[in-house]
Amino acid sequence: MASLVIYLLGAFVRVWLCTSEYRNVIADRIEISTPLNSWKRVTEGLHLLDLKIYPYTGDTLHEPPLHLLAYNFVVKSCGDYLYVIFVCCDLFTSYLLYTCARKYMEHLRETQNRNKDKYAKDAMNLLLTEKDFAISPQYVAVAYLFNPYTVFNCVGFTTTVFGNFFIAAFLVGLSYGNLLFATLPLAICISQSFYPVLLISPLFLQLIMKKDSKIKGAIAVMLTVGFWIAITYLSYNLYGRWDFIENTYGFILTVPDLHPNIGLFWYFFIEMFEHFRHLFIYSFQINVTILYLVPLSIRFRKDPMLLATSLLSLTAIFKSYPCLGDVGFVISLYPCWRHLFNYVQQGFLVSCCFFVTTILGPTVWYLWIYSGSANANFYFGVTLAFATAQIFLITDILFSYTKREFSLKYGRIRKINAKVAQLTLE
Amino acid sequence: MQTTAFVILVLNSVSLINCGSDSFTEELFIKPLYTDHIYTHFHFSTIWDTDLQTEQFKHTHLFPRALGEIIKRHNVQELHLSLTAGLWRYETWGYPITSAPPGAELWVWFKQDTENVDKNWKELANSLSGLICASLNFIDTSNSISPEYSFRPNGAVADQTLNSSYLRYSALPREIVCTENLTPWKKLLPCESKKGLASLLNSGYIYNTRYHSLSIHFRPICRDLECDVTSIEVNQYVDLVYDYLILGVRNWSIRRLFGQGILGSCPLAKSSTVYVDMSTNSSIPFDLSPEPDEFVHSIRGGYTTKFAKYRVTNETLSISVSHLENSKVLINSPPVLHANQYLTGYGQELGGIVTKLYNNHWNNLDVVVLQNIPWYVPIYLHTLKIQANGETIKPISIRYIPGKLRKRPYYVEIALRLPPRSTTSISADFEHVFLKWTEYPPDASHGFYISSSVISAMLPLTKNITGLPQGASTIADSFNRSSGSGYFVQVHTETMVVTLPTPDFSMPYNVICLACTVVALAFGPLHNITTKRLILKPESNERVVDRLKQRLFLLVNKFKLGRAERAETE
Repeated sequence: MASLVIYLLGAFVRVWLCTSEYRNVIADRIEISTPLNSWKRVTEGLHLLDLKIYPYTGDTLHEPPLHLLAYNFVVKSCGDYLYVIFVCCDLFTSYLLYTCARKYMEHLRETQNRNKDKYAKDAMNLLLTEKDFAISPQYVAVAYLFNPYTVFNCVGFTTTVFGNFFIAAFLVGLSYGNLLFATLPLAICISQSFYPVLLISPLFLQLIMKKDSKIKGAIAVMLTVGFWIAITYLSYNLYGRWDFIENTYGFILTVPDLHPNIGLFWYFFIEMFEHFRHLFIYSFQINVTILYLVPLSIRFRKDPMLLATSLLSLTAIFKSYPCLGDVGFVISLYPCWRHLFNYVQQGFLVSCCFFVTTILGPTVWYLWIYSGSANANFYFGVTLAFATAQIFLITDILFSYTKREFSLKYGRIRKINAKVAQLTLE
Repeated sequence: MQTTAFVILVLNSVSLINCGSDSFTEELFIKPLYTDHIYTHFHFSTIWDTDLQTEQFKHTHLFPRALGEIIKRHNVQELHLSLTAGLWRYETWGYPITSAPPGAELWVWFKQDTENVDKNWKELANSLSGLICASLNFIDTSNSISPEYSFRPNGAVADQTLNSSYLRYSALPREIVCTENLTPWKKLLPCESKKGLASLLNSGYIYNTRYHSLSIHFRPICRDLECDVTSIEVNQYVDLVYDYLILGVRNWSIRRLFGQGILGSCPLAKSSTVYVDMSTNSSIPFDLSPEPDEFVHSIRGGYTTKFAKYRVTNETLSISVSHLENSKVLINSPPVLHANQYLTGYGQELGGIVTKLYNNHWNNLDVVVLQNIPWYVPIYLHTLKIQANGETIKPISIRYIPGKLRKRPYYVEIALRLPPRSTTSISADFEHVFLKWTEYPPDASHGFYISSSVISAMLPLTKNITGLPQGASTIADSFNRSSGSGYFVQVHTETMVVTLPTPDFSMPYNVICLACTVVALAFGPLHNITTKRLILKPESNERVVDRLKQRLFLLVNKFKLGRAERAETE
């Protein structure tokens, strides 16, 4: 009953904002709509389709053709009630996240029970209780439903709403170890925004761990790539032209549109010296894709869910066109690690930073663009602070995770030969 | 001495044999406008009876050879270039003989056998840029379009099925026109500016005007009515609009307008004439002195116009006008079709372009609106709204090619039927683009230009029309030439300036450093977490100063030890 009320409340907030006059203001915010996910651009693409103009001749549209076909169907069948689709999709995402978190908690309980006798004696009160297992998934659902970032994302009609939905579906598939439910949504996500390609790694590790066979893992990787190729081929078949690749993956990777967003790319590449542009585009893309992938995969191979979350978080910080929808999605996953919050050191700093930048961002944007009394540096500073806050958050969580691991194994007493000792990384 | 004279004589006669089939006419058309302005139009026309396909332009007589070579090299079928300063006010001035937008405009039809049109276009623009000292070299594929309806060939074409992929149109609204363009332009004339009407073009006077436009038009034309053989024609125009306020008096004269009288005709010209439009004489009477050689009446499209005609001989001629009454305020009746264009919205995020078309006719009017919107003003076609007197109307057809960042402009061509006595607005929204810091011009806050839109229509009446019919080469040709299908006019709207948001140009190093620092903030801890192990280390309670002291002590000890060792070995 309580959960129904929560979902209804979440739906109410969204529907109210969608039907209010604030919808257009929210949809035009650069923090919410990027060139990659704005619904305005999808509408333009659909309009061009209606006029029988190939929508990828220009560079307004960056959604793959197959997705555009789906949007066309949705728009044509919903008409004025389009927001219902977005709201339902968001509610469903929240439910999927709840399911995924519940399964993850079950997994934690199993591991805990299995390894109980290996833990240090004084670590018993570090163990998770039944209450913890029950409440974390609910926190996840609530965090998704009432996180202002995800609410605005939904009200702004971004295609990230669908992206988040498929990533949530993938996470459910991941935690259950279900081949089809993990690979298909992942392939859809990859073809939409490319960066989820990193999530193949947690999928592979999960299947190896769960099914205890490397073949299963390999099959999952092959299946994902296969689906991805199939989607791309179907997209090609729709018009018989390959040039949409340049407008989708090419656009994501080469960053030609320098419209401001909450990421690091825009001002960096506005101000870049022309002869270094390629070097830095390569290094920034390597930074977000493969630089952290391998070390994190090795370090957190035992916990693919944490690995997936940290990869999602890092892409939300460093990808070329990030939006608040991505950040909100990652933040709503964090309650899965509620038990680590005791170890988090910079919680206050990070939350203050989130709060201040969220208020300050639109303010300095207004000062810069509308009243002309500030300049680009102000907004850039705010995005830097926002990115730093996210970085502190994810590194803090990962740190806490390793600390808890240590404490479970060696106990909580930090003393060597009766002298106070400190935990350090060496 | 005698032999050289003979050789020159022979050579002359040879060139006369080769190029004798050409003619040159010069005309000056003066029209007092209903407002306090006077419109003067210089019309220089050179016709050469030769075939464009086979002519090599190795020897020319009256035809400008420099232009001929460019035409040959770049496989040009038809070429129209205009350089304009100021804006033609259609609403009060009526229609000019040739319409031109502020800045530079170039449109060219290439021959059907051209292989790489884009390459030819780029090279042609560069050559013309050198020929008349204008910045036409900025024309490339990123600001050129191939309009389907608006720019049909003016001259004779071999093939009736036209393929607009051989047409290129581009406008540079930022281009500034001045004497450096006029001097090379005058060199293309047979008498240059030494003799004839062109000697009136003194830069000290003609830049003191409200509107000033130079143009060159090249096209093949029919040699006779059957049109089996073609000739080539190059027309050079100067359009000037003087303001009585700037002149200081209403009683204008040739001397007052151009600083000197006409000192005889160009000896190479077939005819040299001055026409004064007398249509305002009925409402604001004036006297001409000297008396014109004759009065010519022209009936076109239901309107009769009276012209005073002067034949320019070798004698000096200065026409002057004295108004009989004091100035009256006249109610101006605007022409059938005119247009405006402006930007909407505030801030540097979202904006809109609005084009307003006014139809003052009692009947429907079919028009074609062409917009060449630069790539830095990305428009959304789904926001396109066409409203006539507040009601949404459907266009007859829309041609649209979306632009691409740094590669291609947005091309919109809309065919519309304007309702009778209506104001139609065409609006579309756009987004401001953020450019790389090197892509901004030196005065970045000045803004970026959007070229004027071109509205083409066939008008049923010749009210306010002075333009030439398609077959005519000279003003004299246009007299008494009525046309059943209507009179073609083009209206160019204002150019617009949009200010794009600018970055801080002094910041590149700082931005690179700060952004990389944030990346490093992630890299450091992640590197530590993934590569290092947690261990317990005894905590030292010493103060920092003590620790430093200890370090220093160790260092000194080490140094001493090293010294002692060295001393031992020695």
